[in-house]
Amino acid sequence: MKNANGKSLSAKTKLTLAAAAIPVLLGGWWAFRPEKLFINQQVSEPAPASASREAQPSYTGKLESREHPTSGRATIYKESSRKQYLRLTDFATSNGPDVHVVLLKAEEPAMLKNIVPGNLEYVELGSLKGNQGDQNYDLPAGADVEKYQAVAIYCERFHAIFGVARLEKF
Amino acid sequence: MIGTAKMGFVVGLLAAGIAAGPAMAQDSMKQDSMKQDDMKHDNMKHDEMMHEESAKRLFTGKFSGKVHKTEGRATVYQQADGKLLLRLTGFKTSNGPDVHVVLLAIKDRSENADSLKSNTERVELGKLKGNEGDQNYEIPAGTDLSKFTTVSIYCERFNANFGAAPLEKF
Repeated sequence: MKNANGKSLSAKTKLTLAAAAIPVLLGGWWAFRPEKLFINQQVSEPAPASASREAQPSYTGKLESREHPTSGRATIYKESSRKQYLRLTDFATSNGPDVHVVLLKAEEPAMLKNIVPGNLEYVELGSLKGNQGDQNYDLPAGADVEKYQAVAIYCERFHAIFGVARLEKF
Repeated sequence: MIGTAKMGFVVGLLAAGIAAGPAMAQDSMKQDSMKQDDMKHDNMKHDEMMHEESAKRLFTGKFSGKVHKTEGRATVYQQADGKLLLRLTGFKTSNGPDVHVVLLAIKDRSENADSLKSNTERVELGKLKGNEGDQNYEIPAGTDLSKFTTVSIYCERFNANFGAAPLEKF
């Protein structure tokens, strides 16, 4: 008797537990939506209409000071597959002799230094047009920005790096 | 009985979700390539358009993930009509429940933690449209971008900051 009674009770309990588990499971599913871990929702909206008609930024980075206080932003714009240019904005550095804008390799160790000890491997973009203000520099055809992902304001005469910017994909 | 029906419903939903996921993704990808084609045509047609009426980039920043791996770039555009727009590019985060895009008023980086303080001021930009891909969000008129300087991918339900991008002047 007792045994049978106990058995039927435990079966009831099981049923109740199972019934109680369903809302808990449902609640848990609603809250965590675990299936979303495996389902991606992909979108691809176009850029603001008018902006897509002009040169697009491909890389950008902020300038940091080295030998002289330097600030602003360096951005590489792609006009076409052949023509790219570097634009400096909100730019300020110190004036100096024989100052150039150059591209360096991202892993160039001299980027951390103020004065370059030996020879520097760089892509020349031209003499610095002004030590303040927005300015553009054409990249030579075939300049590989994938490889040269840093901009430096470089004084050739004294091998001094005024400032650098590491470029990141825009 | 009701329990079984519910469970069946849940299982059915899951199955439908899993089945529909890839199909939907394919669809949107097809649309994407079509849109991109359109944009290319646009590019060619409007190459010589004046630059003044185009959208301007005001701020930009890179995402880094905290609670979930989040990557990509957030850029604030000012459109020709003066409206502000947030655009996410190269964007990827984990999918999740009730995920929103918000602007946060964060003064220093230590505040940008895994979960938001209840008193962190925020501007809601909308539900995350997709966890992958380029997407645009309108910024409400009158939003002070000198105050709300961080974009956050924010799960309201769990007060979780999936990832954040500090905005810097472009």
